[in-house]
Amino acid sequence: MHVAIRCFASLSRFTPPDAEAFSAAPGETVGQLAQRLGIPPVDLKLVFINGAHVELNAKLADGDRVGLFPAVGGG
Amino acid sequence: MPLTLTLEENIRALARLDTQPDGGQRLVLPYYAVLDLARGLGRPRGRPRSGNVARVELAALALGIPPERYLRNGGTYSLAEQARLLGSRAAMVGLGGLGGHVLEILARSGVGHIRAADGDECQPSNLNRQLLCTRRSINGYKAAAAAARVQLLNPAVDFEPVAAFLDEDLMERFLAGADLALDALGGLKDRPALLRQAARAGIPLVTAAVAGQAGFVATVLPGATGPADLFGPGGEGAEDTLGTPAPAVAAAAALMGAEALNILCGRAPSLAGAMLVFDLEAMRFERVRL
Repeated sequence: MHVAIRCFASLSRFTPPDAEAFSAAPGETVGQLAQRLGIPPVDLKLVFINGAHVELNAKLADGDRVGLFPAVGGG
Repeated sequence: MPLTLTLEENIRALARLDTQPDGGQRLVLPYYAVLDLARGLGRPRGRPRSGNVARVELAALALGIPPERYLRNGGTYSLAEQARLLGSRAAMVGLGGLGGHVLEILARSGVGHIRAADGDECQPSNLNRQLLCTRRSINGYKAAAAAARVQLLNPAVDFEPVAAFLDEDLMERFLAGADLALDALGGLKDRPALLRQAARAGIPLVTAAVAGQAGFVATVLPGATGPADLFGPGGEGAEDTLGTPAPAVAAAAALMGAEALNILCGRAPSLAGAMLVFDLEAMRFERVRL
């Protein structure tokens, strides 16, 4: 199955080349996906799937749109 | 015996029939008429008191005659909503990149009472994005630059600048009596405290932050989870490396301003329980339920 990945702000450097259709294993969690991308857990503050905030143990489904967001505080 | 007209009679007498961009005609209270009538309510020379300017504008709106300065708010805000804005109270913490642009929007739109706090002074490194930071205002308090700007923009606004950094106790006092709290802070440290105090005050909080080309805007209703709960007060924000360039700051501030006006004019908050995240490099916006 495949998911689409958007890495925001300082996490954008972890965007894989095939971000629009990234291979994910059935049963894989979004936390495991972030780990595979090499994102340090301390830098990942907000994860959303299909426009809803989820926890790191949320399981991925085919066609999911995954957003990964760091802490952002600039003003 | 001198013949004195009431304020309403004066407004009707000074109203002008104007052709609008859509070809229609409508009565308008000209810009200078507002100021003259406000002066007539006290202080005949010099700058009229903001309370008197607002009183004239509110009286005109009640008669169905928009003051000329709000004409191009058009049908976006009804006359009743415009009047509600004039009576509304916003409390904003931070007068930096976000705060300067948000203040500009609120003051031009006719939010009647604005309290804004920032203990910082304008620095050269603010010049890339901060509306209130100019060659002239460098080394001066941002709160003072804000007061000067509001005076230049809209004399109807009762503006209360506070040139101080607010700790949590001061935030509580600062938010007292406000209809809406605005988080225009920089950095992560003080945002959770403001979120808590807005909840304690029982008012919505509109918050935003940026880093590089990315950012978010959110509305947090009392007791609900906000971005500050997810990010926490410690650690580094991505802006420490990516910076805070003008487009992301101005975009986030425009979204904050739009949502603040939605709320202050009496509509339901559009972003309650959600955050709008954006990436101006990819030109993508996404709404996320928290």
